Amino acid sequence: MGSVTSSRGAALFGARDAVGAAGIAMAATFLAFGAAVREAGLPPGWALVACWAIYGMPGQLVLVQAASTGFAGGLAPAVMGAIAVNARFLPMAIAITPLFGTTDRKRLIPAIPFIAVTPWAAAMRAFPEIAAQARLAWFLGFGLTSWVVAGLAALAGFYVAGMLDDHARAALLFVNPLYYALLLAAELDKPAPRRAIICGSAAAGLTIILPSSVGLLAAGIIGGSIAFFWGRARGKR
Amino acid sequence: MENADIALALTAIACLLLRSAGVWLAGGLGADHPVIAWATAIAQATLSAFVMLAIIAPSGALADVPLAARLGGLGVGVAVCLGFGRNLLPALLVGVAAMLALRAILAGVA
Repeated sequence: MGSVTSSRGAALFGARDAVGAAGIAMAATFLAFGAAVREAGLPPGWALVACWAIYGMPGQLVLVQAASTGFAGGLAPAVMGAIAVNARFLPMAIAITPLFGTTDRKRLIPAIPFIAVTPWAAAMRAFPEIAAQARLAWFLGFGLTSWVVAGLAALAGFYVAGMLDDHARAALLFVNPLYYALLLAAELDKPAPRRAIICGSAAAGLTIILPSSVGLLAAGIIGGSIAFFWGRARGKR
Repeated sequence: MENADIALALTAIACLLLRSAGVWLAGGLGADHPVIAWATAIAQATLSAFVMLAIIAPSGALADVPLAARLGGLGVGVAVCLGFGRNLLPALLVGVAAMLALRAILAGVA
């Protein structure tokens, strides 16, 4: 455990990890987002700021959809919907914070904007190989690189929007969930993630009966809680 | 200021607050604290539910791809990942190629 020990090495390691499969998944998703922004009649600067300031694709897409209708359903419901679908940032931040190996919250301030699905999931996979004192550097290296990739891809998507046919868009939209599925599959040999994956997948059905803005969050809370208590029950036996 | 700019600013601030709240809440807890295990389970379950929905009931251009092609691409990608040392990049590329191939085959059959 902890084969990477220097901060500089860890930051470079993080940057390198961010341009592999994670970079391809990120670029594909944000390319499709840039194209959607253009179709909604919004400027390229809006796409860039959305990528870097929100940095959570479901919420970004909620806003683009609302903008494409001229916020016909109202501004507040659009914002509330975007916040609800990105509310997973809270449990992700709680889960990753102790792994940075510091109780000094101020040291973690630079990492806060990068707490999102891709860096979080990649960190949970990479951290066992990185010494606790070097993990923040890895996360910043990964986060900053993937931020740049996301922004550039969104701008590229904006300008090539007219050239993408439905086949290309479908392939781009498939890359992101497939990448997350692979990250989860790589964790299937560990009991706690396996329980969370099973329960979360089963709870996805809740989105059929709940409004889409809260359905995903409800599935995560209910599925994750069942997985947590399932693990506690097994541990007591 | 346009509606889209206001919506963007409000959402960005709220997302930053959610992330900051998580860091602040967990700042004093150890990695083996039950709250951390619970939050980790919720985050992983949310991601699993997101993947499930994006594959089974997608929106946009992916909705036009037959379910069998989406599931086939997913299955092939996961199989390559698990069968070849959990190497994500080849699994990702093979999975997307499998989805596109299955889509073309199914379109030819129909």
